[in-house]
Amino acid sequence: MPVIEYKCPNCGSSMVFDGDTGKLTCPSCGRTDNIEEIPDPLKQQVFIEDEVKEYHCTSCGAVLVTEPETSATTCSFCGSAVVLSDRLSGELAPAMVIPFSITKEEAIQAFKKWCRNGLLTPSDFMTADRIKGITGMYVPFWLYDLHNRVEVHGHGTKVSTYTRGDYEYTETQHFDIYRKIRLNYVKVPIDASEKMNDEVMDKLEPFPYQQLKDFKTPYLAGYIAEKYSYNDEQLYPRAKDKIQSFIDSYISSAVSGYTTVNFTHKQIDTTLKQADYVLLPVWMVHYDYNKMEHTFAMNGQTGKVVGKPPISKAKVAAWFAGISGVSLLSLKLISWTMGGGFL
Amino acid sequence: MRRRYALWMVLFLLTVCWMMPTGIVNADGDKQLIFDDANLLSSEERNELNAMANKYGAERETDFMILTVDRVENVSVKQWTEDFYDEYAPGYDKPHGNTAILTIVMDSNDVHLEGYYKAEKYLDPGRLDKIRSKITPALSRGDYKQAFEKYIKTAHRYMGFEPDRNPDNILFNIWFQLGTAAAIGAVAIGIMAYRSGGRVTVNSRTYADDSTSGILDQQDRYIRTTVTKRKIERNTGSGSGGGSGGGVTRGGHSHSSSSGKF
Repeated sequence: MPVIEYKCPNCGSSMVFDGDTGKLTCPSCGRTDNIEEIPDPLKQQVFIEDEVKEYHCTSCGAVLVTEPETSATTCSFCGSAVVLSDRLSGELAPAMVIPFSITKEEAIQAFKKWCRNGLLTPSDFMTADRIKGITGMYVPFWLYDLHNRVEVHGHGTKVSTYTRGDYEYTETQHFDIYRKIRLNYVKVPIDASEKMNDEVMDKLEPFPYQQLKDFKTPYLAGYIAEKYSYNDEQLYPRAKDKIQSFIDSYISSAVSGYTTVNFTHKQIDTTLKQADYVLLPVWMVHYDYNKMEHTFAMNGQTGKVVGKPPISKAKVAAWFAGISGVSLLSLKLISWTMGGGFL
Repeated sequence: MRRRYALWMVLFLLTVCWMMPTGIVNADGDKQLIFDDANLLSSEERNELNAMANKYGAERETDFMILTVDRVENVSVKQWTEDFYDEYAPGYDKPHGNTAILTIVMDSNDVHLEGYYKAEKYLDPGRLDKIRSKITPALSRGDYKQAFEKYIKTAHRYMGFEPDRNPDNILFNIWFQLGTAAAIGAVAIGIMAYRSGGRVTVNSRTYADDSTSGILDQQDRYIRTTVTKRKIERNTGSGSGGGSGGGVTRGGHSHSSSSGKF
């Protein structure tokens, strides 16, 4: 049975990962186990390659209701934290994981604080008292190491002007520019989950990579985890696309001191050095407001919140009137001090 | 009988002289400020402009006068206008008082502006030049009414600014001020709304491996230098030629002036 559950050796309850202590913790008796020291059952089990159609909870025997991507969840009948190990092994085995460091309570507090800071958020939304659900989820990401060889040819000009007598002279110096650049990017994250909005996931970055740990299944206990929907080859174009703007800005910083620069030839050779499959921690907050469900994502390490809060028309109008009014008044004052009259 | 006639004549002239300070008053109680000897305007246009000149002039305590003639004999348009001021003694506050005069001479296509007293201070040669260049195109087209309206409105507006300021500074324009304020508000709201959903906080250096990245080879080869030259436009005012400055009338009244052709 490819279902792993961590039973507390003391009391038999289902143990979960605690982001505060970084240890496997028993919510009943308070026993903590250091994850580094537990032998990972994943490495001992051998699976038959057959697609398993049904998973049963090891505690109560009920059928685990899961989506095809889910690799860790809790039993909807007895609440035991279970890990579906066949979805985390073989090709689907993550290399590393960043565990949660923000607990559920801290996440709720951080979310409420974030809501209060919204300048255009309706005031009854700001109280954040209608959180419908908050889910800790390990989102599958690919971390790409990309090495780039860049060669650019271009045409640059330096322009200076001076006056002699009745004439203004514009002197333009023309240059041929050539640059050969080596640009290496490491651990560029691309989310591999079909469900997650790419734009939202991009905004959650950066994840603190010093927290990356070798993957062990106990980190997932008590959280939802998903397996990747796209493999590293499928997402390679997105990774290249993502570093494109980084490369362009590096090239322009490498060509300085010119008035204008035109690149006539730009060659970028990207080679994929490595792509690691990792699980990164994200809190998903579901919030009901005006019969609409709003979803927010929070970085499970840094607490950064991403998502579109509703916008209050009244607040927009008030801010617009306020800012425009103050601007108009300042312009009037400037014109008045310059002798232009107040009205 | 003849003596009696002469006495009436003297009395009439005295009355005219006595009336002079306030100028000739027409039916609406307005001063006559438009003297259209060249007949460039219809009588309705003349009345309309006269009323307008009175209304705007009152706000600036200055008479905005318009003189049109077919030709001036033996004197320059400047001298002719100065002589008019000395003889007619216009002025909003007193005879020989605050006055701005626009003189048009049809034969020689002269357009000439003078400012006396308050108008000398507030309509300095530079501002008179600006007014002249604003009205010259309409005069050249023969659109006299529009040119005269523009003269009255612009002179009125310019006199609202302290001397030595650029009255056409865009900062003083109410539409510019309103537009800029609204734009600042809209941009601020846009930024606030855009940032409400969280923003990207990684930049091009976040994932760069600085230890192995760098410029391997570079060349900046000089090819050639090109030089273009452009004649600097000296500000000569519009119309053909022109001049500005000031002067003193034979009666001893100092004024600012600007003249040109249309």
